[in-house]
Amino acid sequence: MPQEISLSREAFLFLAAEAGLDVNSPHMDELYPYAENALAGLRSLHNIDVSGTEPDMAFQPSPPASEKA
Amino acid sequence: MEGIELCYASAGTLSRLVQSKEVSPVDIIDAHLARIEATEPMLNSFITLLPEEARAAARRAEREIQSGNYRGPLHGIPVALKDLFNTGGVRTTSGSRIFDNFVPERDCTVAARFHQAGAILLGKLNMHQFAYGPTGENPDYGHMHNPWDLELITGGSSGGSGSAAAAGQCTITTGSDTGGSIRIPAALCGIVGLKPTYGLVSRYGLTPLSWSLDHPGPMVRTVEDAALSMNVIAGYDPNDAASARVEVPDYTTALTGDVRGLRIGVVREYFEAPLDPEVERAVREAIGVLESLGAEVTEVSFPMFNDSQAISGAILMAEAAAYHRDLLATDGDKLYPPVRVRLEAGLFVSAADYLRAQQARSLFDRQARELLEQVDLLAGPTEPVTAPALLAERVQAGEYQIGTTGALTQYTRPYNLTGFPAISAPCGFSEAGLPMALQLAGRPFDELTVLRAAHAYEQATEWSSRRPPI
Repeated sequence: MPQEISLSREAFLFLAAEAGLDVNSPHMDELYPYAENALAGLRSLHNIDVSGTEPDMAFQPSPPASEKA
Repeated sequence: MEGIELCYASAGTLSRLVQSKEVSPVDIIDAHLARIEATEPMLNSFITLLPEEARAAARRAEREIQSGNYRGPLHGIPVALKDLFNTGGVRTTSGSRIFDNFVPERDCTVAARFHQAGAILLGKLNMHQFAYGPTGENPDYGHMHNPWDLELITGGSSGGSGSAAAAGQCTITTGSDTGGSIRIPAALCGIVGLKPTYGLVSRYGLTPLSWSLDHPGPMVRTVEDAALSMNVIAGYDPNDAASARVEVPDYTTALTGDVRGLRIGVVREYFEAPLDPEVERAVREAIGVLESLGAEVTEVSFPMFNDSQAISGAILMAEAAAYHRDLLATDGDKLYPPVRVRLEAGLFVSAADYLRAQQARSLFDRQARELLEQVDLLAGPTEPVTAPALLAERVQAGEYQIGTTGALTQYTRPYNLTGFPAISAPCGFSEAGLPMALQLAGRPFDELTVLRAAHAYEQATEWSSRRPPI
């Protein structure tokens, strides 16, 4: 079942503080809606069926089979 | 050959003239410095210029060549590097005043290889700050301007590279491509940009944006010059953890002009996305030219293309934030505000979502590889639109009005996810006189086929001979 990528204001401020940002800065009022919107753009990730697939963590394309030794 | 003709000659042509001693590297460098002096106030391609160093290097090259020590095709040829390629003794800003005084001790691998080949460094090129944007904005060193229309963007992030090569300020430039930053400015400025296979060109000594998506590569005016550049910069580098141990061919062997029997897949979904009809027509005509040259053209389907923005967005945001996290905490207020919020937003991507994006990337890669079992190349537009106006937040692509960043990266991001080689080559000009471009992508480490098709197309058309009005 698809999950929403969402960010409450409280969670945003907690994570911002953890990241070393100044949560008392007026900049937070600009960043919060931007971050919310950016995360909304990632929601469709949860529509992709990734079951049984490992993350591509050691990413390196391999040569075509014909060129392998 | 002299003056501006030297500035618009390809590296291939110049190298033949240098080797035969018909032209001196000193003449070449002087011509380019004069061209830069005349055009730079309008273009703003460079962050740092090295006129005295370049002249001295040209005199050394001239002496070496006169004494029979010709190093190869790039000996005495002007090169300029995007300002996130570390250059020993020359400041490297990554497009930010925060690093205005950062002078690396040693060259990145790409710079070292160009230097070893005898190429002459003219300077460091302007860029979107920290390479995090596709338009070529930079308030710290001034926005970049498109040589075809100074009111329009160059594209980015390697915008100075695009404008410098297009305007004849430099013969060979470099870019780094995380979501399209080589191919976007190449397309919008009317030059050739090659994003090589991930791991083929070393990232050592480059300021990262996203470790798993960053690809350095050449931005030049001809396909031959892309091949000549790759002959110098491609190859294994133990200093880069992602560097591939593969055999590196002579890329100029691809320049046969023969595409008979080459199977080209035209991706249906590319033409269902927002796309300017004028660009679509030019790209379809370009594919028609390749077909007329003997390529076998078929339509293919790449359904996961539509997921590429979300997948690469999550990976890029998280990796860029991870790299710049300390800087954001200490100097965030010194960043260009749109770059700052873009970087900071990545701090809020969860580890679970980052890993989900990497899972999806595996599926995306698998689907793309399956396509390249059916065909040799995937073809489509590089950009859905011609160059937008400076600072435009939205663009009109066919019947859709969409965000500029999403539009400019919609066709380029897929090949950062797969790491496949992809080239952007000019394929016509709009009624307004702006460049349009064809993108061809191939199998991992099969740059030869990508270059072969792009070169055959280039030779069959006259687009690469056009010069901007500047």
